[in-house]
Amino acid sequence: MPETLPKEDGSEVGVTDFARLDPGHEREVALIERIQRGEGELFYELIQPYEKRVFVMAFTILRNEADAEDVAQEAFLKAFKHLSQFRAESRFSTWLIQVAINEARMWQRKRHREIMKPIEDSENEDGTYTPHDFADWREIPSEALERKEIRDKLIAALNSLATKYREVFVLRDVQHMSIEETSEVLGISVGAVKTRLLRARMMLRDLLSPGFENVLTSTSQIPKGKRPWS
Amino acid sequence: MVIGCEDVWREISNYLEGDLDPAVKHAMEEHFAQCRHCEAVLDGMRNVIELYGDEKMFSLTADFYPRLRRRLAVHVEERKGSARPWFFSLAATGALAASVLLAGLHQGAIPGQRSVMSQPARRLPQGLVAVVDEGKKFHAPGCPFMHGKYRMVTPEEALREGYTPCTRCMYEALRTAGRMTPEFGEEEVASSAAAAEQ
Repeated sequence: MPETLPKEDGSEVGVTDFARLDPGHEREVALIERIQRGEGELFYELIQPYEKRVFVMAFTILRNEADAEDVAQEAFLKAFKHLSQFRAESRFSTWLIQVAINEARMWQRKRHREIMKPIEDSENEDGTYTPHDFADWREIPSEALERKEIRDKLIAALNSLATKYREVFVLRDVQHMSIEETSEVLGISVGAVKTRLLRARMMLRDLLSPGFENVLTSTSQIPKGKRPWS
Repeated sequence: MVIGCEDVWREISNYLEGDLDPAVKHAMEEHFAQCRHCEAVLDGMRNVIELYGDEKMFSLTADFYPRLRRRLAVHVEERKGSARPWFFSLAATGALAASVLLAGLHQGAIPGQRSVMSQPARRLPQGLVAVVDEGKKFHAPGCPFMHGKYRMVTPEEALREGYTPCTRCMYEALRTAGRMTPEFGEEEVASSAAAAEQ
């Protein structure tokens, strides 16, 4: 996926330019100006598309729904109080997610909580990740997600990753941010985003592959697609 | 160009991003055609991305929005109060309380789905989309998440045939699409059912 968009004159534009080209961005900037002039109730309209995204980001870091909701509320409140600090050259969503991440990290530091020890990646990020499992997956139907136990299994697998991998994976693959936006939100290089994304995807694939539930069983003996989805 | 399994594992994520030099992409596709293990890794990773990218994966509880609104209300009213006469604030507070009450009553029946990721899609991409007969999603041509032989249909036809949009390639297309169309009814039902289960 290209990191930049072509301009009419053949040159390319980056994320900042993209924010200006986005018609939704102009609408949000106009809303923010009106809120700052005293139309505070428009803030609900401004944040409505991002309520779930902010909650999911907080949950990604804290791994607890109640804490994530508290942090999401704090993040929205902080965004409201500091709206004057938002710079129109960025996307509002990017700024808001950054506020949520900071709030979640502060919350975590205050609580000193580690509910479960995440899988720390012992390898250097530059090293090649070797898949642990080569079992075949059939195409997974989206309807599987209507089953709570499947969603719980996926969330447990995600929560077992180190925070640095969870953050990148959720921003790119759950929130559908671009690689560049992810890099901007987390303040890390595009290369680091790509490396962490690769490892996060690989680790999740290993954790969820059909042979995972019984590591002593040879994956070659497991009929295709039998677990954990069928 | 010939590449080995380790090269494939290093680039497999970029392959799914469509972020590769054409020669490397071609070499990887040749490798996948011959290497069952790497093909399995590719399929698994593709499934991981699709599952976690599905809007049904995460949902807000029914009372998330009323609680958030209550938390923000005092501060929002303060700012509004600084620019408006007090009786406007009083009237707005009453209206707010009524709307929170109504929202609560409404959510007793059907949980609210308010964020952009939980709303049913309301827009369709311009032009034709690709569908695979055995598949369930429609894609933009060239989407790496599409398997097998595909045919091109209009987005409306794809919907009528029961296909839903691919969360990867269609996300960008829907974000930039200009025209509004009827909602994807089935998706809305599915989202509500998933949220109700919470």
